[in-house]
Amino acid sequence: MTLTVLSPVSGEVVPLSEVPDPVFAQAMVGPGIAVQPERTAGDAVSPVDGTVVTLHPHAFVVATESGAAVLVHLGIDTVKLKGEGFTLHVVKGETVRAGQPVIGWNPAEIEQGGRSPICPVIALDASAESLVDVHEPGPVKAGEALLTWQR
Amino acid sequence: MADDRAAKILAAIGGPDNIIEIEPCITRLRCELEDGSKVDEAALKAAGAHGVLRAGSVVQVIVGPEADTIASDIEDLL
Repeated sequence: MTLTVLSPVSGEVVPLSEVPDPVFAQAMVGPGIAVQPERTAGDAVSPVDGTVVTLHPHAFVVATESGAAVLVHLGIDTVKLKGEGFTLHVVKGETVRAGQPVIGWNPAEIEQGGRSPICPVIALDASAESLVDVHEPGPVKAGEALLTWQR
Repeated sequence: MADDRAAKILAAIGGPDNIIEIEPCITRLRCELEDGSKVDEAALKAAGAHGVLRAGSVVQVIVGPEADTIASDIEDLL
């Protein structure tokens, strides 16, 4: 089966290797892509239909019924903000639809705080070859297809 | 599996006495240690870690999305 993974935010698609964090840049937890978000306040949306299995103010994982788990991380080192500037729209364990708002945030504020607001979108434990139709570098809107995960 | 893994990871970062703080962050354990040189990378990888990032006494163990669970299991062992 194939799973379409949507962009959680609007911005510019960039390769994962541009993320200033070796765990993501070297795909240690899985392959994926990153979105350099527009610097305006908005909501990060769920990339897939599924259950919110992990929820932090600055990051979340949605797992589909078949067990595919997609990680969205809002900015780098944002765990240090302890949730400040992030608004949760769901609770852990909640069922969400692809495109549903999960976390409200403001990438401009993250950047002003000296951190990168870049958003890695990771297909957890996937093989690199299983990701196809990956969005070319360039503009993307939240809710548009980023890539297809073949499972 | 997770219980066993928590114990193995704890041993591989120098045991309870070496831990100042462990903080989970989605896919990784950020470990602040008394002595970073006590970390056994080979043992961490054998326990299922995807990778290990070291910066002196701060060591990040990349464990995947079960980091939260593993961290609380480790807390229980301290």
